[in-house]
Amino acid sequence: MIIQHCIANPLTIIRTPRRLSHPGTVLMRTGDSVEPAQIVAQAIIPPDFRIVEVARELDVPLRSANSYLKVERGQAISEGDILASKGGFGSRVCQAPISGKVAGVGRGRLLLQAQPQIVHLNALVPGYIVDAELGEGVVIETVGGLIQALWGNGHEAHGVLRMVVREARHPIRPTHINASSQGSILIGGSTVDGETIQDAKDMRVRGMIVGSVPAGLIPQLREAGFPVIATEGIGTTPMTQTVFDLLRSLDGREASISGDIGNRWHPTRPYIVIPMPMQVGQVIRADTPLAIGDRVRILRGAYRGRSGTIHEMLARRVQLETGAHLPGASVNIGEGEPVRVPYANLERLF
Amino acid sequence: MEEAHIIDSILVVDCGTVITKLLLLEHVGDSYQFVAQAEAQTTGKPPWNDLSIGVVHGVQELESIIGRTLYARGGITVPRTGREGVDAFVVILSAVQPLRVVLAGLVREMSLESGRRAVNGTYATIEATLSREGNLRAPQEMWARTVRDLMPDAVLLVGGVDGGARRPVLELAEAVALATSMLDEEQRPTVIYAGNRTLRSQVTKLLGDITHVVTTDNVRPTADSEHLGPAQSALEELYIEKRLRTAPGIERLSDWSRLPLFPVATAFSHVVDFLWHREGNADRGVLGVDVGAATTTMAATFQGRSYVSIYEHGVANGLIDWVETHGADRILRWIPAEMDRETLLAMLYNTELLPSTIPQTSQELSIELAVVREMLRSAVSTAWPTWDVGKAAMQATGAMPRTDPILISGGGIVLTPRPGQSLLAILDGLQPVGISTLLLDSSHAAPAIGAVAGIKPLAAASALESGTLVSLGTVISPVGQARPGEVVMRMRITYEGGRELNVEARYGEIEVWPLLEGQRATLEIHPSRHIDIGMGLGQGGRVEVLGGLVGLVVDARGRPVNLPSNPDRRRRTLNRWILDVGG
Repeated sequence: MIIQHCIANPLTIIRTPRRLSHPGTVLMRTGDSVEPAQIVAQAIIPPDFRIVEVARELDVPLRSANSYLKVERGQAISEGDILASKGGFGSRVCQAPISGKVAGVGRGRLLLQAQPQIVHLNALVPGYIVDAELGEGVVIETVGGLIQALWGNGHEAHGVLRMVVREARHPIRPTHINASSQGSILIGGSTVDGETIQDAKDMRVRGMIVGSVPAGLIPQLREAGFPVIATEGIGTTPMTQTVFDLLRSLDGREASISGDIGNRWHPTRPYIVIPMPMQVGQVIRADTPLAIGDRVRILRGAYRGRSGTIHEMLARRVQLETGAHLPGASVNIGEGEPVRVPYANLERLF
Repeated sequence: MEEAHIIDSILVVDCGTVITKLLLLEHVGDSYQFVAQAEAQTTGKPPWNDLSIGVVHGVQELESIIGRTLYARGGITVPRTGREGVDAFVVILSAVQPLRVVLAGLVREMSLESGRRAVNGTYATIEATLSREGNLRAPQEMWARTVRDLMPDAVLLVGGVDGGARRPVLELAEAVALATSMLDEEQRPTVIYAGNRTLRSQVTKLLGDITHVVTTDNVRPTADSEHLGPAQSALEELYIEKRLRTAPGIERLSDWSRLPLFPVATAFSHVVDFLWHREGNADRGVLGVDVGAATTTMAATFQGRSYVSIYEHGVANGLIDWVETHGADRILRWIPAEMDRETLLAMLYNTELLPSTIPQTSQELSIELAVVREMLRSAVSTAWPTWDVGKAAMQATGAMPRTDPILISGGGIVLTPRPGQSLLAILDGLQPVGISTLLLDSSHAAPAIGAVAGIKPLAAASALESGTLVSLGTVISPVGQARPGEVVMRMRITYEGGRELNVEARYGEIEVWPLLEGQRATLEIHPSRHIDIGMGLGQGGRVEVLGGLVGLVVDARGRPVNLPSNPDRRRRTLNRWILDVGG
């Protein structure tokens, strides 16, 4: 049986895809070494354009509009330039609404195209290029720690991890934000509130990692300007102890974090990459069948957010509080008797 | 497609957004039966990005159940050799992104409305609508910018009755041509032209050198007629070509199958169509609803004509978008316990982030069932305008045309722990009228049967008759004006053994009378003067009905079902209804 999984591993081989939003040019080659701020690819954003109705603006017939033109196809223009004019009684001029070039002429109209904008894509994570796809982006291989989360606000950054709480159940509060927070990626335990986010923004915090974020805070988080990542998703569930302990062990290290969650049809998981000066790391095989002793996290119900190990893969179905009976396992969560959880509500931790 | 060899065993793989279901249909004695089924995580998204991985895991589980080999030497063995493999292997899919469509047309209530209904007939989302409405300063520029920036898979261009408007349609076509010419060749949308037929050659001339143009019959040939079929077929073909045939891992599955790929909704509608022909009641339709994680499909057959409508939200994906459009209160109103908006939103977000998880607590289940109700309400309002029957009643009172049976499928609703919970969610969501038997597709085999119908119709019919569908019971839904508590219907139930039971139904109540699964009873129904049970106002009669997991249900709450506005009263009412149906 394969179940959904999440990576929370201190030393593994990480492959980070970096994709351009539009077709462009990859600036690196396979085997190149990259640093987080290094530009690996660039793309040209489709330029703004305008249709200028010359015939209408000059009040002349469509077929004669071309004879009034002062510009030709391909010509560079600046905003305010005269594109066409009609002299004599009832004289009129037609001016360029944007700077750029004349991209098309016909049917009494001009198509103007603005200067294209170039966007740059940085590496975000240090490592080596293992795949440089023509016009699309690169894949960077790094050895180090990788923690996947559930929700992120779409931003990304590179900085130094700084643990600001003692326990996984503690939220980040305004009192945790001080001068030393500037440029750091703060790690909290359970959640965060709006006041703390504002203070973090004012203090130019580089990023924030918490267990959960309240649903009502999401609009503010999207505008925060720095990445906020929630390892457990939305609500108030504290960070899974396994993940909290791993992050605590990495306190003070440099990390790259991405809060990108993709979209409904192409979801991606937010991640934290902590590069290590090692040559080898654990290779994770996502299609390995689940077995006794495997680390798992509970995703729903009373034990949501708790991690443990598979104690038994049950032959009989698990009865839920709802009354449903589903295939499942008993999970040792480190206290009391193992708890029974349907496979659908378990996530394997690699 | 008929295979040349004898088909005694068929493996159907149904790749849903979250779960991949495998069903093995075999010739047993004189009939075809589902002999085994298995499930696996759908693996079309990261980290797997290959649908065949989940299929192979499911096949291995199936092999452990049936004790013979289906998968060998890196593929499904087709046709069967000895005890190895199957005679046919068919794949149906809904686990891929819908087509992204820009709809361009003239009048919102006319061609654009018809275009929207055509798009809803397949797995497609409308990313933007281009029309002249709204006094745009430079409409062509804005239309072109929209198409260029969205880079849709298709532009559905409609507008103008046949022989009608020309210039406005051509202006839209020009804008689409301009936008398309600004895109790289591989990014250019296919243009499906389904407008004024006299402009076909001009539209093709304008766009044909730039991109692929498909012309079909006008969706609105006259002001008061609609003709959606050809445009829907063109969109479905495009969906199969652009999405199903390019789904990650599909090449491997196609190598094993050699049969055409089916969208799940198409397969599901085949079953609904089959049920209509089997029932043979020209005066009523058959309805099927499939509530999935990402979409809600509504398939109906009325007077021999099939209709499919796909609502772009399900019980997991797209919930937050739905709430942003329709508001959280629409869901909160169905929850029988106190709950604040923040708690609801947190759960909806997490369901969207983890769509393959299952409600584990009563609170989680109550949210999921509330979502089911609203998805069904929305799916009904998307579907009924495409039906050629019952429009006046739907517009006036929201009352559905008579449908019997109603087929219920999809993990979002068939997996509820108690049958009464499913039944109540269906009644609240669909709000049927008259007399309907509710058939539950508890093993989600209906789409698979629909797919099998394309290979071996006899096997599909046989599988359907062999107990694949479970009856929840028969529901009588009287409609009309009455005061709460007023008797709206008297009924004599005569059981097969001759035992009789005389009962009354009071307005505002929902009641269940015993009628077990497999049992039949004869009802003698006498509605009061202003009440209709589908036979006309005050008209009653004798009908034979089928029992089910819940029983014989009389839903006398009226249509539409009104919930008390006072929160405490509303919750008490919801809890009473839940108790009444054993949910």
